[in-house]
Amino acid sequence: MVKGHKIRYSHKNYSILKGVDVSVEYGDMLVIVGPNGAGKSTLLNVLANEIARNTEEVYFKQKHFREWDILDLSKNKAKFSQHYNGDIPLPVQEVVLMGRYPYYNSLPGSADLSAIEEAMKETGIWELREREYTLLSGGEKQRVHLARVMAQLKNEVVHKLVLLDEPLNNLDVKHQYLVLELMRAFAGRGNTVVTVLHDLNLAARYATRVLMMKNGQVLAQGTPGEVLTAEIISEAYAFPCSIWAHPVRHHPVILFGN
Amino acid sequence: MKNQLPWYLLVSFLVMLALVWLSLHLGVYRFEEVSVLKIVGSFFTGDPSVSSTDAYIIGKVRLPRVVMALLVGSILAVAGTCLQGIFKNPLATPDLIGVTSGATLMAAVTIVLGESVRAFIPEVLHHSLVSLGAFMGALGAISVVYFIASGNGKTNVVMMLLAGVAVSSLGFALVGFMTYLAKDEQLRDLTFWNLGSLGGATWTKNAILAVVMLGTYSFLIFKGKALNAMMLGEKDAEHLGIRVERIKRLTVLFTALMVGTAVAFSGSIGFVGLIIPYILRLLFNSDYTVILPLSAVWGAILLLAADTVSRTIAAPAELPIGILTALLGAPVFIAILVRYKKSMGW
Repeated sequence: MVKGHKIRYSHKNYSILKGVDVSVEYGDMLVIVGPNGAGKSTLLNVLANEIARNTEEVYFKQKHFREWDILDLSKNKAKFSQHYNGDIPLPVQEVVLMGRYPYYNSLPGSADLSAIEEAMKETGIWELREREYTLLSGGEKQRVHLARVMAQLKNEVVHKLVLLDEPLNNLDVKHQYLVLELMRAFAGRGNTVVTVLHDLNLAARYATRVLMMKNGQVLAQGTPGEVLTAEIISEAYAFPCSIWAHPVRHHPVILFGN
Repeated sequence: MKNQLPWYLLVSFLVMLALVWLSLHLGVYRFEEVSVLKIVGSFFTGDPSVSSTDAYIIGKVRLPRVVMALLVGSILAVAGTCLQGIFKNPLATPDLIGVTSGATLMAAVTIVLGESVRAFIPEVLHHSLVSLGAFMGALGAISVVYFIASGNGKTNVVMMLLAGVAVSSLGFALVGFMTYLAKDEQLRDLTFWNLGSLGGATWTKNAILAVVMLGTYSFLIFKGKALNAMMLGEKDAEHLGIRVERIKRLTVLFTALMVGTAVAFSGSIGFVGLIIPYILRLLFNSDYTVILPLSAVWGAILLLAADTVSRTIAAPAELPIGILTALLGAPVFIAILVRYKKSMGW
C-alpha cells in the first residue's frame, strides 16, 4: 500500500527524519507513537505527499506520488490534519460536503448527499448538520473534519488509505472509542489506516501494527505485543512503566509510573 | 442544498434588467419617444419614426455608459471575491490591498510619461497603453502584497493591510508627482482617474472589457469549490484534489488583469469588491460556489445604481462615482472590523 524507504527530512539544517523505513499493507491499522518532537507528524506528512521534495522514496500502490493524478489520488487517500481552521463560516453539512468535491462539478449528486449523510451519522454529528461550524466546540469541529475525510473516501476504489494526525485531540472518551472503532472497521474492509496517537493503551487496543519513533528514527516496529514492552516504552519516553495483559482481550495494558 | 442558486441568479438578472431599463430613462435629456425599447429596437429595424437625437443619446451616450457600469461593476466585485478567497480574508479587496492604487499609479505614469513613447507606437495601441500600464501596476501591487503577507499557506491579515497601505501611499505620492508634472489636458485625465467616472464610455472600451470579462470568468466563476476548500487550509485543499498553486497564480494574474482594465477605463472606483461580497456573505454564508456567481451580477447592479444616482442627483452636474461607492464602502469596512473585534474576543 504505502512504502517508504530511508525517508529523510530536515528543516533549516535541523534533521527531523533520519532514514525511516516504513511499510503498510492492505487491512493494516498502523499507529505511530513516540514522545513529542520525535517526527511523528512529519512522517505522516511525508506519507501523505504534503512534503513534495521528499516523495522520491515513498511509493503509494507501487507508484511515486508524482506519477499520480492529483484528482485520482484524492479518491484513493485522504488526510485528517491536526491543525484545522476553526473559522469557516459555513453550516456543518457544507464543510462535510467539501469531502465530495473530487466527485462532482457544480451540484452534488445523490451519491454525494448520501455519502455525507452516512459520514455524519458515523461520527455522530448528524444532529449538528444545520449548525454554523464556527459555533461548535473543539471536539465537535474535530468530528466534522473526520466526517469530511470519511465522506471523501466513500467510493468504489478497493484499497484506500486514510492518514490521521492525532484524531483524538479534544474528543471525550465515548467519541475516542467511536472514532477508533470506525477506523478499525475501515481498515477491516481492505483499506489502510495510518494514525498518530498519544495514548499507548488505545494503540495497544486498536492497532494491527505499532511504530515507535524517537529522535527522527524508528525505535521499534511490529505488532502491539512486540513494540509495547516495558523496555521499549521506557527507552522512548524516559519514563517508567509496567505492562499487564488485558483480562479479556489479552492485548498489553500499560500502567505508567513506579 | 444548493439547488437554489439558479433561482437566485434568475431573480438577480431580472433586478438588473429592471435597473437597466430605469437607468436608460433617467437623465438630463428627456426622450421624445416614451419607449426606450423602441429606440433600441430602431438600431436594428431602422424605424424612421424614432428621432435621431433620441437614437444618438441612447446609442452613443446612455447605453454604452450603462453597459460599462455593468461590466466594470461585475469585474470589480468578482475580483474582490476571488482575492478574498485566495487571501482567505473578507478584507482582501483590490482597494484595501493596494491593487487599485498600483493600477492608478501606472495609469498615471503612462498618461504623463507615455507622451514621449507614444510617437513610436501605432495609433491602435494608444488606448491599450494605459490599460497595459494599469495591468502591470495591478500585477506588481498584488504580487508585492502577496509576497509580504502570505507564507506557509496562511495570510497575515495585519501584514496584508499594512502592505496595502504601503503600496497605496507609494501610489498616492507618485500620482501626486505626476500631477505636478502634468500638462493641462493630462491633468484632466488624472483627476478623472483619481475619482473614477464612467463618463468616458465607448463601445470599443466595452468590447475590451467584455473580452477580459469572458476570458477571466470562464476560469474564475467555476472556482467556488476550490476557494471553499482553501478555507480548510491549502494542504487540505490539495488532499481534495485541488491544484492550489495553479489556482492561486492564475487568480492573481486574472484579478490584476480585471482590476487593471477596469481602472484604465473608469478610473479608481473603490469598494465595490468589498461591499458586494460582504452583503452576499451575510445572506448566503461564505459559500463561494454561491457568492462568486452572484457577485458577478450584484456588482453590476451596484455600480449601475451608483452611476445612475451620480449622474441624476445633482443634474446637470455629475457627482464622481468613486465618492458614492466610498460612501457606501467605508461603513462596510468598519462593520467588518467590528465583527473581527468581536471574533477576536476583545
